[in-house]
Amino acid sequence: MKNRLSILFNRLTDVPTDFPDNARRQKILNILIVSIFFLTALAIILILALQNLVSLGLQGNEFYLAFVVLIGLAIVYFINRSKHLPSWLASFLFLVFLSAAFAYTDTPEQLANGRSLFVFTIPVIMSSMLLVPAASFLFAGLVTVELIIISNVSSVVPNGFAIGGFFLVAVVTWLSARSLEQAIKDLRVVNAELDQRVVERTSELATALSRETVEAGRREAILNSIADGVIVFDRTGTAILSNPSITNLVNKSQTEIIGKGLSDLLDSEDVKASDRVSLAALLEKSAQNLSNLRVKWGRKTLSVNAAEVRDGASQAIGTVAVFRDFTREAELEQMKNTFIAIVSHELRTPLNAILGYAEMLKEAVYGQINEKQKSVSGRIMTNTQRLLGIVSDLLDQAQIEAGKLKIQMIPCKPAELLDNIHGVMEKTASDKNLSLILKLDPAMDTTIIGDPQRLQQIMVNLTNNAVKFTDSGSVQVKVAPVGTKNWQIQTIDTGNGIPQDALEYIFETFRQVDGMSTRQHGGVGLGLSIVKQLVELMNGKITVESEIGKGSTFTVTLPLITHNGSPTVPSTKQE
Amino acid sequence: MSELALIIEDDEDLAEIFGEALKAADYTIEIIRDGLAAQERISQVVPTVITLDMHIPHVSGKALFNQIRADERLNKTRVVVATADAQIGEAMRGLADLVLIKPITFTQLRDLTFRLHQRK
Repeated sequence: MKNRLSILFNRLTDVPTDFPDNARRQKILNILIVSIFFLTALAIILILALQNLVSLGLQGNEFYLAFVVLIGLAIVYFINRSKHLPSWLASFLFLVFLSAAFAYTDTPEQLANGRSLFVFTIPVIMSSMLLVPAASFLFAGLVTVELIIISNVSSVVPNGFAIGGFFLVAVVTWLSARSLEQAIKDLRVVNAELDQRVVERTSELATALSRETVEAGRREAILNSIADGVIVFDRTGTAILSNPSITNLVNKSQTEIIGKGLSDLLDSEDVKASDRVSLAALLEKSAQNLSNLRVKWGRKTLSVNAAEVRDGASQAIGTVAVFRDFTREAELEQMKNTFIAIVSHELRTPLNAILGYAEMLKEAVYGQINEKQKSVSGRIMTNTQRLLGIVSDLLDQAQIEAGKLKIQMIPCKPAELLDNIHGVMEKTASDKNLSLILKLDPAMDTTIIGDPQRLQQIMVNLTNNAVKFTDSGSVQVKVAPVGTKNWQIQTIDTGNGIPQDALEYIFETFRQVDGMSTRQHGGVGLGLSIVKQLVELMNGKITVESEIGKGSTFTVTLPLITHNGSPTVPSTKQE
Repeated sequence: MSELALIIEDDEDLAEIFGEALKAADYTIEIIRDGLAAQERISQVVPTVITLDMHIPHVSGKALFNQIRADERLNKTRVVVATADAQIGEAMRGLADLVLIKPITFTQLRDLTFRLHQRK
């Protein structure tokens, strides 16, 4: 009921304008009009009711005046509600009407200079509210004119103090109305800014939200489409995210993973106890960046990587683990290793037999043979040895690539290494009429720590290479200390030399200086590549200097270690 | 009767070549191609030289080596380890009288074992 009344009142006082100041003024006017209208109507009804009961002796014109007021109010009301008439018109008419009406509220004497003098301040005050603030002066003027007229009618001298008072009131109301309007205007600006900000923030939020949604969707699409299994653990080690691929790898459904801890994930018959330990270590200490951990998971071999997830402020907020199906690679690797092992044994054994039988023929173990037969036996031996060398090189290369070649650290004697070079290379060199000069620096330690087999291989390969590419002159092999921390092996030949542009790739796998020379000089182009890789495995380095027509010098510099387990220096820097 | 050389080697061809090399070095040779047979034979004869392959069927080369070294009767027997594995070779160096890394040539074995004659 109350609600309906207020709705009705609101509807009655509504104004058809969009200008906030006008709306406020017109609304006040409407409220005044509606209130006065109803009060006047109520008064008329009461007066009529009382008049029937008691004779009051009311003057007729006062009664009609009330009706005039009602009609006047109605007219002003409709003007105020009109969309086409200027907004100030209704207020202006109302105030004029009000000012005029006051002339009938008391006797002219009282109005001009008595108890009702104050009523003329009412339109002055109201005008600054209903029209513009400065309108108070207009109505001060109007009521002054009215006062003068009334004074003349009742033959009274107009009250000068009262007129001054009207203007004083006009000033005060003008000032207060003006500051009030300013305050309202400021408030409106603040409100508008606030509204604008709310709109902007809302739109930003909406954009961010939609971007986030798109981003999340994209991320999910990526996560779902990759073949690797992914699990994201939060800081407490609980799985919070995973992708479909993981389910095939660990034989668990996503629901068996999400929300569970690492121990639940690993609690599977598929995982060996030792793998469980290393997986837990990997995932719990992901900061250590252990990577490519291989574990058996059921029938599969998985390669697991883990990395910390950090937020914008670099705070660790969890771990992401990526599981890759390594089964096929592991099988291939196993096959390769088996193949190498088989080849290593099965290829060499018959070659050794061929070598041995050829030698026995040549040595006349099975009876005397003629010179031609002897020469052929020799050539079978040479070629077999070459083949054995190639097989060894290929196997070494395969082992280096597989990371299976380990460097031993045991005592060995440089003098013995040089002696062996003599044994292995002297005949080849003298066959080509080259002098093989071996030099051991007296300052060199008699025993050093290293891998004698691999050091020998480095020396043999370098010397063999030098002999191969030298047609006349000599091949020198020198072993000497370099400062106190390193030692070096040098081969110096007087051969063809190596073109400058070729120097950079002679250590590459399967390369010789030009395509033709592979045929010409034999070998598959692995010798120097293996030497370089062996030297690097020993923390050393190899350099080459060469001049066309004068020869080449290969220098291998290695850390000098003279006591087992205590390297004099790990550095390979040359002094 | 010349001195005895025992050739413990499972590969037929290498056994033949080693045999000829040792014959050429003036030994009476006996070839054994199985670990168990080698264990039995070592306990029966006193060879001057034993060439020992480290990879033979049934018994490891190292076990055979230890058996030889533990046998008082064989304290003068020279053991020549013949292996294709350089790492095993390095491990046996200092333990065996001679370590040869395969490929081992006929002349190499002949000349080296000739020096091992006791009567010399």
